[in-house]
Amino acid sequence: MSGYLEGVLALLCINTVLAYGAFLPMSAGQLNLGIAAFVAIGAYSSGYASNALGLNPILAALGGFAVAASVGWLVAFPILRTRGIYLALATFALNQVVQGTILNVDAVGGAAGYPVSAHVGFPVVAAFAIAVFALVAALFHTRFGISVTAVKDDERAADVMGLSVRGMQSAAFTVGAGLAGLAGALYAHYFNYIEVQNYGVLFSIYVMLYVLLGGTQTVYGPLLGAALFNLLPELLRGSAAWRYVIFACLIIAIMSLRPQGVLVKR
Amino acid sequence: MLEQQVVNGLMLGSVYALVAVAFTLAIGILNFLNFSIPGLFMVSGMLTWLLLRQAAPWPLAALGAVAAAGALSLLVERFTYRLMRTSEHFVPLVTSMAFLILLENLMLIGWGSDQQRVPVPFGSASAHLGPVIVSVPQLLGLGCAVLAVACMDFLLKKTRLGRGVRTIAEDAQLATLLGVPVERVVPLIFLFGGLFTGLAGFLFAVNYQQASPFMGEEVALKGISAMVVGGMGNIWGAILGGLLIGLVETFAIFGLGARAVDLCVYGALLAILFVRPTGLLGGVSRHQRM
Amino acid sequence: MKTSLEMRSVSLGFGGLKVLDALSFAVGSGERLALIGPNGAGKTTVFNILTGVYAPDAGQVLLDGADITRLASRFRIRRGLARTFQNIRLMPHLSVLENVMVAQYAHTPGWLGMLQPVGFGRANRWRAEARAALEAAGLGKYAAQLAGGLPYGVQKRIELVRALAARPRVLLLDEPAAGLNPAESEALHEALEAVARSGVTLVVVEHDMHFVERLCTRVVVLNFGCKIAEGAVAAVRGNPLVREAYLGSERDAA
Repeated sequence: MSGYLEGVLALLCINTVLAYGAFLPMSAGQLNLGIAAFVAIGAYSSGYASNALGLNPILAALGGFAVAASVGWLVAFPILRTRGIYLALATFALNQVVQGTILNVDAVGGAAGYPVSAHVGFPVVAAFAIAVFALVAALFHTRFGISVTAVKDDERAADVMGLSVRGMQSAAFTVGAGLAGLAGALYAHYFNYIEVQNYGVLFSIYVMLYVLLGGTQTVYGPLLGAALFNLLPELLRGSAAWRYVIFACLIIAIMSLRPQGVLVKR
Repeated sequence: MLEQQVVNGLMLGSVYALVAVAFTLAIGILNFLNFSIPGLFMVSGMLTWLLLRQAAPWPLAALGAVAAAGALSLLVERFTYRLMRTSEHFVPLVTSMAFLILLENLMLIGWGSDQQRVPVPFGSASAHLGPVIVSVPQLLGLGCAVLAVACMDFLLKKTRLGRGVRTIAEDAQLATLLGVPVERVVPLIFLFGGLFTGLAGFLFAVNYQQASPFMGEEVALKGISAMVVGGMGNIWGAILGGLLIGLVETFAIFGLGARAVDLCVYGALLAILFVRPTGLLGGVSRHQRM
Repeated sequence: MKTSLEMRSVSLGFGGLKVLDALSFAVGSGERLALIGPNGAGKTTVFNILTGVYAPDAGQVLLDGADITRLASRFRIRRGLARTFQNIRLMPHLSVLENVMVAQYAHTPGWLGMLQPVGFGRANRWRAEARAALEAAGLGKYAAQLAGGLPYGVQKRIELVRALAARPRVLLLDEPAAGLNPAESEALHEALEAVARSGVTLVVVEHDMHFVERLCTRVVVLNFGCKIAEGAVAAVRGNPLVREAYLGSERDAA
């Protein structure tokens, strides 16, 4: 496999993990506009762990998951008390605050970027992507899948029917944050260089948009979204900016015509 | 020295205030977080640069920039709010984000990612008020911002159109039943937002002599913080919030360095959301769809 | 007869408006109680307090003798208190089968219960149970369809199956006969008779007095958040206060 093709596929795998990180809170009816913050947290914490503490990169990646999930858990309590627009605003603010914070941490390079020396090969990245997909798919075939959609559809009724609305939303948010962190850690150790400037709100927006494009009604939607976002531009060639223009037009069109996304339930 | 910082903060704040007004009109009246606004800001700023570097007279540049932002805002309306009735609640927010991406990348394709230097149309005219130096465009900016908001306030409180707008803010379906021409009023609300944003973009480009495809992300996005701090849905809150955020940013740079800006500005947003989400001047806190 | 469900002196106000005023009533185990009164009397509010959607300003709610006044909503169904809603609240993006299965969580609460597989194959125990309940109610053919697009009468019946999936001891029914044609109403009566015969306590909010007469043994009448009468159906009918409350609202409706 050529280096370029491998890079594309690796990015697809990483973005798949990330897509499920965005998908989980969405499946419970919450938009995490700050998902990029958790990617950054995972990338930087795992990068630091393998650089400065000499941790094995795979363990560092799992560590990235754990750190991002912990931060997600901590902020879930105050953030999920907010609703609707306030939730969107709070996650947006969180994104900017995390980005602003990392910018000031010189130990990880600050604004100059952070090279990560340990490398994980494509097989590792692919294995993680497959594992994440399998686990999330399995999760949605448990009672969790039914319950989380119930919460998204009608919180009040779900509450009376015995579901712990707040518990499920927190869990979805936390695990989603963890997956985003894992994606960040994998990126850091495959491409071996991360820059905090990349993890702003626009990045969060891209992720959310391609997950919505794939469809959030089924557990296969995010996979499709990630694939479309990564592979379609490869077929179309052109500069990165043109890809985003086409992507944006696609989103506008889809939201007008078929807002549920490409893959829907039944 | 300190007074100069305060003045600088207020001048920057007037730009944020205008953007905040645009955001607050969309949230307060239409319950819609309009992420295309930073895109309109950027288009206005870039257009200002394009026109001024062709040696266009500055009023023409101002008119062009503001009009372009206004026109784009109507396009955004067509694909966001107009679909809100018939669709899932997140659609307008998501589509507005797509517009931001679209505009930023079109601009990147057209003129590259460099920050451009905007030629100054006013020479270096400045006023000296005591120990403080205020440039003419800065003063113009602050004056415009306050004037524009005062006009908007008058419009909302004293005219028939304003009554219609406030009815829509209460309950859009009820407004239709009461005979308010919603299909004509809503685009007008978008247009006002676009005009405010366009003015902000022009003023920023001319005051700070810079424009880039990223200026929406870097500058206008802080308008969201200004809006929330001042009080969502309250246009005087937007002015207050804008000026405050301008001061926060200026003093953050002054005291802590440029790297601390985002942390301070968005830290303030985060703090307000948890401590007093209705903002300093109160404002909308009713059921928040998206 | 043991008391199954009880409200003691419950009051609730919104803003300056008093919606319930020191309301007290009790339901015996296995009883069929009707809660009636003109529109706006506070009947759905009573249900909302019983299920924990609202917390009362004063008073207590007791289930099987235990004080559940401050108990969070989601725990009440686990203790055997289920309900249906006046405006149908099925989950539109779940299939009919899945809607019924939502209520099964009451049997397996907690994280282990949440992670129980339910997705694959008809052999799965929970799916089978839900399917059997739907078949028994004559709704088997809708099992795989999304609940959102179905006719009103069908949705109402599904809501009942869902509530019963939790195997409640007390079932609250908010206007179960509203909007049903006579045939559907009869079918509903049969279904509820069967439920009551199996020992479930019923509390029914209804406007259809004929339906109430056939199903229920006792009636509590509300007006403006207060209990104005209580007793056997026939006795309550003759009560002048009750006539006035309804006559007033009938006059308005005419």
